[in-house]
Amino acid sequence: MPTELLKNPYVHGAVYGVVIVTVLMTITAWSIWFERKFAGRMQSRVGPTLVGPFGLLQPLADAVKLLQKEDIVPASADRALFNLAPPLTVLFALGTAAVIPFSPEVIAADLDVGVLWVLAMGGLTVFPVWIAGWASNNKYALLGGMRSVAQGISYEIPLVLAALVPVTLAGSMSISDIVRYQEKNGWVVGMPPGPGILAFLIFFLASLAEANRIPFDIPEAESELIAGVTTEYTGMKFGLFYLAEYLHTLIVAAVGAALFFGGWAGPFGLGSGLHWMVGKTLLLFFGVFWVRWTFLRFRADQLMSLCWKYLVPAGLVLVMLSAFWVHYKAGTRG
Amino acid sequence: MSVGSLFFSVCALVALVGAVSTVAAKNPIRSAVGLLATIVAIAALFLKLAAQFLAAIQLIVYAGAVVVLFVFVIMLLGPDATTGERPARLRLSRWGGAVLLAAITGAALFVMRKGFGPLVPLGPVRADFGSTEAVGGLVFRGGLVPFEIATALLIVAVVGAIAVARSKPQPKKPRAEGHETRRLFAGPLHPRDAERPLPKESAR
Repeated sequence: MPTELLKNPYVHGAVYGVVIVTVLMTITAWSIWFERKFAGRMQSRVGPTLVGPFGLLQPLADAVKLLQKEDIVPASADRALFNLAPPLTVLFALGTAAVIPFSPEVIAADLDVGVLWVLAMGGLTVFPVWIAGWASNNKYALLGGMRSVAQGISYEIPLVLAALVPVTLAGSMSISDIVRYQEKNGWVVGMPPGPGILAFLIFFLASLAEANRIPFDIPEAESELIAGVTTEYTGMKFGLFYLAEYLHTLIVAAVGAALFFGGWAGPFGLGSGLHWMVGKTLLLFFGVFWVRWTFLRFRADQLMSLCWKYLVPAGLVLVMLSAFWVHYKAGTRG
Repeated sequence: MSVGSLFFSVCALVALVGAVSTVAAKNPIRSAVGLLATIVAIAALFLKLAAQFLAAIQLIVYAGAVVVLFVFVIMLLGPDATTGERPARLRLSRWGGAVLLAAITGAALFVMRKGFGPLVPLGPVRADFGSTEAVGGLVFRGGLVPFEIATALLIVAVVGAIAVARSKPQPKKPRAEGHETRRLFAGPLHPRDAERPLPKESAR
């Protein structure tokens, strides 16, 4: 690849975009295998074993199976919106990936408002879920969609507040600038002692809620809502929702790794590079699985009270503390 | 056609289609989706104009908050909330809209044919144009007082909305006679039994 051509932002974005999306999709597919194995071990089972060695080809088999399923659109559904929703979920989930710096070079678009972009895309992810719930013309799907919107807009606030802590500390909204700041001054989780890790916890919880993962998966709570918004979807359309959920989780893990865990910067001065970022992302992703198979689902009202009574006030306090910290540091330097 | 103008054309097309479907769609949900498409496309146009901050804020505020608000209103109204028959008083607004549209189209055609005389060349934008720092500087240096007044207004509005929405504490109803479970099974359990007389208290 001639480097001159790569300097063009469109070409750069397209090339790195394709590479990043392909890698993310691949990781996502095998993370489903990994999660099933992991869940199996947690429940004294062995998980998938039949397709390929250790069941490694299970994701391929699942994809082929989903493609072969009959594609059903309910007669009373709003056909256009019903078909629009599944690709939109994947689109908005992947949209976030554009601004994540995997290394100083591997980034599709280094926006100077990267953090805002992540939050904006996260906010948009509620729409396809809601459109799906509405267009299905099914009461369970509609309830799931409504819950999703309510949960999405509530948890966006602690998410924004938690993301503001690294932004305040680094003095920039570009994610790569935040990583560079952490390279010099240590990871945000460890500094200033206390609020950093609390901010990460809030960010983590709010992101789980936005990605509709257990313990925040009331939009598709299968014990109450059959399958929530995905009730009426079959075949690959359902597969897209499934894929988008995992993609969203993976990307959220990458954002968390970049904002709070120093991104591509290695710990203890062990150098830096792409491998650190990938490793941290996968570790956080693993943490999400761990949470999923450990905790129970929240009730809808518990979900709201956790957000508004605990996370939001805590987030406000953390933002103020980090502002004070920056002010204090600036005072001692000058 | 360069990549940039292709990008512009696609975004403009999406914005226009969304705008038309916002006003033309019968189903309010489709209107909301059209509005969402318009907002996203306009945010993409802001990106093209190097106003990244504005683009992200457009997505967060308009798509993430305003459209969600509409969605909530539509959901509270229920799935049958269509516009229905047009009342007669809408006729005036229809004619007014037609006249306005004709005037704007005429003005645009006039400008395209005649022009406004020599074009004024725009100076090159500064490197930090549209960046967070530039917008923040404008808001917090130049317009701090209006900004704070606007935030105060919003907070008052929120507090007021909560005060209005919260109903007054109801006086506690006197407890019905008997045990809770007794009351649960007091009435007819099946519509078929609605006509039948209830069993006498003394009979039990």
